[in-house]
Amino acid sequence: MTRYGMSIDIDRCTGCGACMVACAVENNIPPAPEGAGDRKGITWIRVFQVNNGEDGSNRKSAFVPVLCQQCGHETPCVSVCPQQAVRVDPQTGIVGQMPERCLGCRYCMAACPYHARYFNWWDPVWPPGMEKTLNPAVAPRMRGVVEKCNFCHGRWHAAKERAAAQNRREIDPGDYLPACVEACPTGAIRFGDLNDRASVPARDARQDGSFRLLEKLGTDPKIHYHSRQGWVRQIASAPSGKEKARG
Amino acid sequence: MDRQLIARRLPRCPARQFVLWLLPWTALLAFGLYAAGLCLVKGLNQTNMDNRFAFGLWIFLDLTVIALGAGAFFTGFLVYILKLKELSAVIYSAVVIGFVCYSGAVAVLLVDVGQPLRAWFTFWYPNVHSMLTEVTFCITCYLTVLFIEYLPIILKNRKLRQVPSFLVFEFQLHKLIYVLAGAGTFLSFFHQGSLGGLYGVLRGRPFAFREGFAIWPSTFFLFIISAVAVGPAFILLTTWLVSKISQRRLVKPQVLDLLGRISGLLLSVYVLAKTVDTLIWINRTSPGSGFPAWQYYSWNPFGTWILFAEIVVFGLIPALILLIPRLRRRTGWLVSAALMACLGVALNRFVLTVQTLALPTLGFDQFVSYRPSWQETGTFLAVVAYGVLVYSFSFRYLQLFPQERALEAAPAAEAEPVEEEPVLVGRYSL
Amino acid sequence: MQTTRRDLFKFAAGSAAGLVFTPVPWRLITDTALWSENWPGIPRPARGEIHTRFTNCALCPAGCAVRARCVGPQPVALTGLPGQPLCAFGLVGHHLPYHPGRVTQGALEQAAAAIAHRDPKASIAVLDLRPGRTASWTYRRAMAAIPHGLYLAPKRISPAVNLADAKTVLSFGAPLLEGWGTPASVFAARERFRLVQVEPVPSPTAALADLWLPIRAGSETALARAIAQLLRKQALPPEVAALTGIPEEQIVSVARQVAENGPALVVAAEEFPAMSELNRLLGSLGRTVFPRREAPVPESWTRAAAPVTTFASVADHSIGVLLIDESAPDTYLPWSVVQKKLVPYDPLVVTFASSRAGYGRHAQYLLPTAVYPEITSDLPPALHSAAATFRLAAPLVAPPAGVVDPPTFVARMARLPLTPALRERAGAIHQAGRGTVSTWRDGKSVPVRQVKFDDFWSALNEGGCWIDSQGPQAPAPQMESGSFADPPVEQSSLPLVVVTTAVPQPFSPLLSKLYGESNLRLSPGRIALHPETARQCGVTDGARAALETIRGRAAVQVSIDSGMPPGVVRVAATPALLDLCGPSARAKVVRV
Repeated sequence: MTRYGMSIDIDRCTGCGACMVACAVENNIPPAPEGAGDRKGITWIRVFQVNNGEDGSNRKSAFVPVLCQQCGHETPCVSVCPQQAVRVDPQTGIVGQMPERCLGCRYCMAACPYHARYFNWWDPVWPPGMEKTLNPAVAPRMRGVVEKCNFCHGRWHAAKERAAAQNRREIDPGDYLPACVEACPTGAIRFGDLNDRASVPARDARQDGSFRLLEKLGTDPKIHYHSRQGWVRQIASAPSGKEKARG
Repeated sequence: MDRQLIARRLPRCPARQFVLWLLPWTALLAFGLYAAGLCLVKGLNQTNMDNRFAFGLWIFLDLTVIALGAGAFFTGFLVYILKLKELSAVIYSAVVIGFVCYSGAVAVLLVDVGQPLRAWFTFWYPNVHSMLTEVTFCITCYLTVLFIEYLPIILKNRKLRQVPSFLVFEFQLHKLIYVLAGAGTFLSFFHQGSLGGLYGVLRGRPFAFREGFAIWPSTFFLFIISAVAVGPAFILLTTWLVSKISQRRLVKPQVLDLLGRISGLLLSVYVLAKTVDTLIWINRTSPGSGFPAWQYYSWNPFGTWILFAEIVVFGLIPALILLIPRLRRRTGWLVSAALMACLGVALNRFVLTVQTLALPTLGFDQFVSYRPSWQETGTFLAVVAYGVLVYSFSFRYLQLFPQERALEAAPAAEAEPVEEEPVLVGRYSL
Repeated sequence: MQTTRRDLFKFAAGSAAGLVFTPVPWRLITDTALWSENWPGIPRPARGEIHTRFTNCALCPAGCAVRARCVGPQPVALTGLPGQPLCAFGLVGHHLPYHPGRVTQGALEQAAAAIAHRDPKASIAVLDLRPGRTASWTYRRAMAAIPHGLYLAPKRISPAVNLADAKTVLSFGAPLLEGWGTPASVFAARERFRLVQVEPVPSPTAALADLWLPIRAGSETALARAIAQLLRKQALPPEVAALTGIPEEQIVSVARQVAENGPALVVAAEEFPAMSELNRLLGSLGRTVFPRREAPVPESWTRAAAPVTTFASVADHSIGVLLIDESAPDTYLPWSVVQKKLVPYDPLVVTFASSRAGYGRHAQYLLPTAVYPEITSDLPPALHSAAATFRLAAPLVAPPAGVVDPPTFVARMARLPLTPALRERAGAIHQAGRGTVSTWRDGKSVPVRQVKFDDFWSALNEGGCWIDSQGPQAPAPQMESGSFADPPVEQSSLPLVVVTTAVPQPFSPLLSKLYGESNLRLSPGRIALHPETARQCGVTDGARAALETIRGRAAVQVSIDSGMPPGVVRVAATPALLDLCGPSARAKVVRV
């Protein structure tokens, strides 16, 4: 049984946004219609720019990718969905969202402290002809349903099929990589099985300077962040009452 | 012109005047239906809700209206279970108000969800861990109960009463009244609580999260207490308002006095419970989640004034006013206190829906603000208009206030005890 | 016994009651859920066998290798090779053929006729916005064959740069960490060098640099000259600190770092003489800076090709007919700069582009071209390679009917024999016999000498890459340079200094993820202001405003950024806004 997770090295993230775009391509996320700002857009993974609050050359910035943390303990969105449209997959630990069953009540969005869930405020519209470029492995969602990162669960299924075709029960770890991990040019986002002590995320999680967002809430997220800069580690805790971010 | 439909010896304004009264509300309803239609056809992008503000005006409206409509079940509980006969003067009005509040809330909920056609999924794939499942089930059942309680009131209409099968049906229905009242109380207890539980269980929103008893957070119980506290206050308010608009005496002053007293008592209990709960939250629950409580109130415009307003200005003060007999006797004070109590509950619902979502949770989040779009406001006004219209029709054609006829006959002296007209069930009294 | 109405009613009621105990209604209920999932209007992705094809990305001169997953003929996903991912723009390159602003129709005959009927004494020029390709050689040969023909490059060809060997990099605004060159190679080298970013605005590169010098916009030349003086062991001019806004100690410290912590490298967003002088003083030439070497070129071409002239060195008001190859634009020269070189009366401008956003707004004729991934073209020599490279952007989809191939058009106009230029070029490379060819499907690299020409040609058409061998080599034709001057400084009384960030165009609507749906990058058409500056202009965050320069005004939207220096307005510039701002402009922001 695997428990997939990520380790994200904030010091390596350059804010290039390739992960955001690769995610949108893989998961058939539509481009934003007119009038969608950053609060109505759908960005399953979103990179924020944070800074240390200073000015001039003392100003230090960092980029933090935030995606669904795949909470493992008392997953906030699972317990609140009235239709059981959210489920923690026991085989992989991935929190899966079923857009077909979603009523669109958005209770899960209120419950998520990481703001990792996105609502389809519009029907998806691609410019004429661009629908031909859609990824056949993922179904586009219609308006009125909630969606979120699922670690490209479809790729896990594909890896399982390939393994089965070769009569193997277990998938080859290198065969299953979410789109964002594949696209990151600096290797800031690493993916693997947290139950495997030798995997990269599991090793990174044990390192000094490793932290998770809002740990005190007790959601047991599977995304481990890392930074050598002390001021960056502060962002993992509650808001301080001072605005220090963009993105 | 419609004199035949209006009960005997109950003076009502001429039909033309009634139509004039209805016109603006009908126009408002039509506008509101158009706004709601836009949201249904074009999608929820017509609203100003967004990914940070997943709930907006409508959820706040739903919670407030359901709390205010608690008068229906609570008055029923007091009349039929606790046998407080004085309140039977307002029970029918309470039922209509409850029906209007709940049906309006359910209608708005159907517009609020992204896929209204999938509303039945909650019944088909229920999640026993979710407060929202409980709310859905209970509210739907309770709406049915309210409808069944409303039906006899309609069937007692002067014209409809003349149909024998209606009369028999209504009589049989009224035999169930105790069952209905009991079921209504039970269901309401749970859904009022679950509406509070909706926010109290949100571990990811430490501003709203509360510890409690077993699986029920303290907000579950606080919502119940606040709902039963404000229910009578709202009945008081609406009765006074209808009396003022129709320029009729509808109930004896003792009834309003009793409603005020009940409300004041329960409101005091609520203020006490809320204060204790807030102290526990500030000192234990919120810091335990890693969120120091003072930080919530450092974001403009939600300073500590809002906490003070909710508990003291709109909670403690109306409670005290309603408990002091000397003040309670003066209609001005009574009605103002009832209004303040209702506003206090509305403020409490606002704090838990809107302020919860406005506050940042991540260290690099921002405080976000939200203003409803005209489509959202229109839909909200449609519910208000619908309520006024249904109540207007009910008041005109149905006998909502059993004491009205007697008060009509008696002279203006209020100190004189008047023979109370018994609550009629067809031709049989209670 | 007669069947009465009551019997029928009883039967109907009984059937209804009985139906509840069959699966029928429950099945129907569940099926309605399925119907509500897929309403008409929600697109269904095409199904089919997925196969992989390889090409090289033509969106910028980096030319990263691309692995395309295709369903039938249509690419549905583009990724890079393992360890060499694509940038955000490259990932959605396959959307470009369907870009809503795409132009597919143009007045081809009329344009050709207008060119044919031009004044024979007026000079005709081709402005090649992506020099260094085989198409560039076709233009040069065509312009040599035509009287008064000129081949123009927008600016000097910048040298190749080796980041991997650098220990200190002094960057004058070069967007090193924002898709400059191949992302993977930059980031692979990042750990090994110390980056000093000299930039007026807090770009992501500045935010991540080891040291950010927030220089006053327009004073880069002064700083470079000051550092050069320090390197020559001369005194620091006293006014430099005040002029640039950077404390003296910091300038001295940076000069010491580049001198002592070598090998050093100086790069810039736009090359300017003072910075080249710095590279010379630091001895970077040959160590971290190299001339950009081209792959071998057929002998016949070099003999009959017009020289490369930089646009700036052309005499004012001298060009009668200007053909602009905008099919793969790497640079956008503001229209005011272009217009200055055109004859004042009746100039003819024909632009080859796939969208109207660029020079199509000013040209008399816009002739539509193919876009990546439809084009067949080679890529300019790599920015990071000391050795020459040759790569083809092989087409993944067919272009629509009606599009024009600019070098073919120009060759026809000049009456050159229409030979397949790319194949000829590949032939010359193969004949030279040097270097290796790498293919991605099998990951092999083979010396060219061991490969037959046909195999070499098909390897190139499958995204393969030819790299010249290291070591002494026959001097490859080098790219010429023209006049080279410091960037002009606009004198005007407008209060704000403009710093433009060019946005690569066109880009897929899906990039709204970076621009509109998050605040990661400044969206095209938005400006960034310091909070105090915004207050002085009377605008708030998100407000609509007007940006006014001496050339006109345009509607923009305001973003407040506390990291911006006061008195500077940063513009995320579309070509229209670049026209408005011109080079090194000043502006005013007013509320609307």
